[in-house]
Amino acid sequence: MNLIFAAVFLASALVFLFLRPDGFLAAMLTGAEKAATLSLSLLAVYCVWLGFFRVLEKSGLEKKLSSLLRPALKKLFRSDDEEALSLAGENLSANFLGLPGAPTPLGIRATGKFLENKEEYAADLLFVLNATSLQLLPTTVIALRLAAGSLAPADILLPTLLATAFTSLSGVLLLMGAEFFRRRRK
Amino acid sequence: MKFAALLIPLLFVALFIFALFRRIRLYDCFTEGVKEAVPLVLTLFPYLAAILMLSELFSESGLADAAARLLARPLEAVGIPAEIARLVLIKPFSGSGSTALLSELLSAYGADSYIGRCACVAYGSSETVFYISAVYFAGKRKKLFRPILISLLANFLGVAFGCFLCRFL
Repeated sequence: MNLIFAAVFLASALVFLFLRPDGFLAAMLTGAEKAATLSLSLLAVYCVWLGFFRVLEKSGLEKKLSSLLRPALKKLFRSDDEEALSLAGENLSANFLGLPGAPTPLGIRATGKFLENKEEYAADLLFVLNATSLQLLPTTVIALRLAAGSLAPADILLPTLLATAFTSLSGVLLLMGAEFFRRRRK
Repeated sequence: MKFAALLIPLLFVALFIFALFRRIRLYDCFTEGVKEAVPLVLTLFPYLAAILMLSELFSESGLADAAARLLARPLEAVGIPAEIARLVLIKPFSGSGSTALLSELLSAYGADSYIGRCACVAYGSSETVFYISAVYFAGKRKKLFRPILISLLANFLGVAFGCFLCRFL
């Protein structure tokens, strides 16, 4: 990430330096401003879901639900940390249901737990699953299609669902392959 | 769409009724959860700020456009229309930027055209990889090369597959 950051930053900054030096600070500030406003809306979203999840946890419902998923998750993530696994399971379910903003706090906590245990494969797998979009209903796209006057806004559902499934599957397979070679080299 | 709107209130009602049966002090418990929101956002903030400044520089400098023009040909070779090259390129960096691009593409080419449909599928089947890596790993892990590379590659494969599907689905 340090490499990507340095490369993209320097390349863009050099373009600004030679073409329009006065645009540089403006662009940086716009980015920072977006971060500030985004953080506020994230704060609002996390208030809703973290409250919800704490009630879910305290009521004992979380334990019941996650024990259903645990055998499958154990195999998938190759981890024995029950708390991390149930957080990961909730993260995946929230993604699947398309609850906006809900997967993130769960995913962050699960990733932290996995990394504490030095289970990098599990952390990477959870990240790859989240970074390859698991959503069932692409609500934003449908809304934008409606706004653009589409006659069949839901027309893209099937290809999107298939492409998304393909994305996640190839991500998981690539990661499994990378892990397989990493272990063999040792 | 009706079902999706029902889902969230339904989840809350079901959970809160269940919690009441379990004699949970709802107000105390809910606020305890909300308390974690501020520290969470604080830990994410520096990484969010860095990524968003980076993506702003990348697109405002015109580098994103140049890269999109450069990549248009090779993308076309694997069946991704040249018109959506910019969308494919900007999506890993910025969610809001790619949403704006998608809506531009839809009004320029029409939502039901081949290009419009490809853009929708490309948007829907890929994710904001850099943004998610900033949030999920927020300083907890240094070596991000493997997960980021794999996710980018998988997203790219998904977009190519989606554009292929759009030809006959």
